[in-house]
Formats: sequence, C-alpha cells, structure tokens
Amino acid sequence: MNVVFLIAIPLLAAFISILIKKYASYLLVAVGLFNIAVLIFSKNGIVFIGGFDTTISANLLGITLLLDTYTRIALWVVNVLILVIAVLNIKTYRDYGSILLLAMAGLNGLLLTNDLFNLFVFLEISGIAAYLLSTSNKKPVSTFRYLLYGAIGSSLFLFGVVILYSMYGTLNMVVMIREISASNNYTEVILPFILMFIGLGVEAKLLPFNAWVKGVLGNSNVLSGPMIAGVYMAAMSFVLGRLVTNLFVFEGTLLTVVTLILVLGIVVGDLMAFSSSKVREILLFSSIAQSSIIILLFVNGLTIWAVYLIVANALSKTVMFLVINKATAETENDEVDSLKGLFVHNNIVGLTFTLAALSVMGLPLLVGFVIKLNYLTALAGAGQITLIAVILLASLIEGIYLVRLLVKLWYKGEKDLRVEYHFSFKMVFIAIALSLLVFGNYSTPLNELDNSIDTVSEVVNNG
Amino acid sequence: MIQYASIFLFVLGLYGLFINKNVIKLIVSLNVMEIGLFIFIISIGYVGDNAIAPIISNTQDLGLIYVDPLPQALVLTAIVIGVGTTALALAIAKSIYNTYQTFDLDEMEESA
Repeated sequence: MNVVFLIAIPLLAAFISILIKKYASYLLVAVGLFNIAVLIFSKNGIVFIGGFDTTISANLLGITLLLDTYTRIALWVVNVLILVIAVLNIKTYRDYGSILLLAMAGLNGLLLTNDLFNLFVFLEISGIAAYLLSTSNKKPVSTFRYLLYGAIGSSLFLFGVVILYSMYGTLNMVVMIREISASNNYTEVILPFILMFIGLGVEAKLLPFNAWVKGVLGNSNVLSGPMIAGVYMAAMSFVLGRLVTNLFVFEGTLLTVVTLILVLGIVVGDLMAFSSSKVREILLFSSIAQSSIIILLFVNGLTIWAVYLIVANALSKTVMFLVINKATAETENDEVDSLKGLFVHNNIVGLTFTLAALSVMGLPLLVGFVIKLNYLTALAGAGQITLIAVILLASLIEGIYLVRLLVKLWYKGEKDLRVEYHFSFKMVFIAIALSLLVFGNYSTPLNELDNSIDTVSEVVNNG
Repeated sequence: MIQYASIFLFVLGLYGLFINKNVIKLIVSLNVMEIGLFIFIISIGYVGDNAIAPIISNTQDLGLIYVDPLPQALVLTAIVIGVGTTALALAIAKSIYNTYQTFDLDEMEESA
C-alpha cells in the first residue's frame, strides 16, 4: 500500500469530520486502524509524487516520501500512541477528533517527507494541531505563548531552508546532502543549519528554546499531556535526529556549541525537575532533559540507541502523564504533597507508574537500563568521558527526584485520596509497563537493528 | 538590496516580539517578521531586470530568462500558512480577552 495514504486519508478525514462532528472520534479511531494497516502492508522505499522523474538524482522537482526502518519505527510509535490516546479520551474530549486527525496527518507527513519545504508545511500543520490541543488546558495565555514560540521556530526553520535552496537550487534532502558534500564548504552552511536547528529545537523542547513547555505541559490534561509530551516529542526528536544525522554538519566550534547547549539542557532540565514541587512540572522538566540526551546521541552518531530511547521515553511519559493528569483533574491540584497516597488504593496503576519511572531512570530489569548501558558503552568507546560523566550525574539527580516522587505517591498522606481510573486506562498502563519489562529482560530483538536503519546516507551514495 | 530590506523587516518583527506585551501587537510583530521572510523568499527567485514571468510563451525565443518560479510557489504556501496561524492567534487573543478583559500580558495573573 502506498504510504501517501498515511497523510492523505487523515487529512481528508479531518475535513469530513467537521461535517459529521458527532462521529468525529469514531472516524479518528477508524483512520487510526487504517493507518496501522497501511504500515503493515507498505514496503520500504521512495515514493515519487506528481509523476516527476523516478530517479532520485534527477528529482529536483516534485516531492518524494522516504519510508525506511527508521521512519517505520517512528510511524508506528506516532500512530499507535495517537490511536490509544484517542480511544482513552473518546468520551471526555469528543470535540477534539478533527484536531487529532490533523495532528496525525501533520506528524505522518513530517516523518515521511524527503522535501525540506514540505517539512516546513507539515511542521506548521502539526504545530497548529498542537496549539489547538493545548486549548483543552483552558489556559489561553500559555497556548498563545506556545503559538508564538512555534511560529518563530518554524519561521527560522523556513529561513534556513530558503537560504539552502538559494545556495544549492534544490529542496530535496537527498540531493541537497549530495550537493553539500560535493561543495565541501561547510562554513557557508553554518547559518542555515543553526536557523533550522533552532527552529526544530523549539518543538523538540531543547533548552533554551522551550519557554513554552512549562505553561503548556504544566497545565496539561489527559489529552494534551500525553500528546505533546509523548507523541509530539517523539515525532520531533525523530525528525531532528534525521536531520542531525544526515543533513547538518556539526564540526569544530559549532559541534562544541551544540554539545554545550545539549549538555546544559540535560543538567538544567534535571535540576529544575529536582527543585520543583509540582508533579507535572517534574515530569515536563524530566522530558526536557531526556530530549537533550536523545539529540546528543544523534549528534554522536548513536542513531539506534537514540531511536530506542525515543520509543521508551514516549511510552513511559505517556503512562506517567496519563496517571498524573487524571489525578490532578480530580484533585484540581498538582502539588506533590496533595497527591500523597495516590497509589494506596490504585496498586496496579501505581505499579505501572513505578515501572515507567524506573525505566526513565535506567534501573536494571527495565528497557531504560538496557538502552542506557548500551549508549554509555558506545560513548565510552568513542572516548566521550565528559559526556558520560554528565549523563551519570544527571541520572543521579533524576533518580533522587523520581524516587522522592514515588515514595510520596505510595505512602498515605493526611487525606484519603481516591482517584478512579477507568479499566481501559489500566489496560494501556499494563501493556506499556509489560513491554518495558519484557524488553528490559529480553533485549535480543533490540540488538538485531543497528545504525543502518536510517537509509538516507545509503540513498545519497547509491541513488 | 531588497534582501537587506527583507532581513531588516524580519529582525524588526523579531524585535517587536521580544519587547511587546500586548497580545495584538505581538501578532502584528509576528506578521511583520513573516512578511520580511516572504520578501526574502521572493527575492532569491529574482534573476535581473530582463527576466520575465514564468509563463511559457513565444518570448522564450527572444533570449529572455524566466524568474525562478519555485520561490513564488513556496511563498504562496507560506502566506497561506501564515494567514492560518494569524487567524488562530487572533481567536486565542479573543479567548484571552474574554477571560482576563485585557490584552496586556503583564496584567494577567495566569500561572503560565
């Protein structure tokens, strides 16, 4: 099946759903299932749109979509998580079906496209869907700030893309990578790369471009929290990772500056989570630190472990935000002390939340440990001792604040806190916690894939 | 020359986004920044005074060259997206005003 359906059908359904608002959420679930079927039956390769030349080297016009194992993993994560979040919120947030369809189309396009201007278009489509999702928080100022930061970010990204187009006369990523390496003059492309990196850094929550995160995720609910912290973060990390691995050339001083920004993101993110007394803030600052680690791995060429970290993080954060946002919606307070004893009457939910938190920390028996061990070993092999020290220090801080949080959530406070989690929520929590546990103990499938899942360089070299 | 003007507009809009606290002025600044970017995009397709519009006609035999049509297509898309974002921003601005009865961000007591 043609992967263009992954973009076209959700977009078409988004428009139709406005006409049949009553059934929008059911249409969303149907389209989600259809997307999964497309993913199962589609084959890896390049899709040429518009009947232009079917050789990539001559494809200066027209848009191409690239489906390889890297994109496939990203698409599975995005589509399955959106479907799960949609099903869980089918009654509570009935009006958001059209927006989730728009988000689905935008994010699928973002992950599939091989055209840089098209990437900007999908960045804006998914961005608009994200702003609309954040309106469910009922905090219009935070949404407005998010929109401003997003619009500035995408404008900077477009500025970078246009400069590259004026230099190389193409928007096709593969052809552009070939042209850049042929010209062998990296100093000229530093400015567009920085502009594009900042542009995507806004959405990927990288410090210091993430001032919007606190307002949006700090007031999030069971729809916006997992969507923005789980799905959007995963998709943006995948896109930024692809560009960092293949297009951007970080060398010399630029590499030092980028590494410094990412290291600062890890340390500051974890320190802010450590000093926060609000549960949602702890989770969102932890997300900021994690996204910086992910991009740092991409910068150091550890594509496969960065991909696994994105997937594990998206799953863990989905569980954690769902658990906490459901509780804060009922207690109307997200101070850690006000949620004391949350798990006393919710043992299963507590257990799944604990497993997700321990996986984020990287404790043995969970997939987070396998991933952390492997990327630290790879970094040690590359002689990046300073980075290892920073990550270990950050893990220590992360361990302290997450264990402190877990202890408070498990031990009874002054009040008897009772939060009802629907059966469907529990099933999702159990499924995700089990997957974190299974792959933590049986990691052989993880070792079967390597950095070659990203085939852009192969296409660049072989056509 | 036109490229310097477009970059000036872009920076001016960015400056406006940093210093303004009024929601409507922020949206206007965003638009100024975007217009700077649109002019920059159009300017890279410009190929000189003797260029003609990219429409196939008999004039191609006269040795005239076309301006690059791709930036024009890009800018058209970018303008549409910009209008969509502005419309959404204005809708959110209205929601802000309904909630706080003001457009000034400093006067709002929201834990954003």
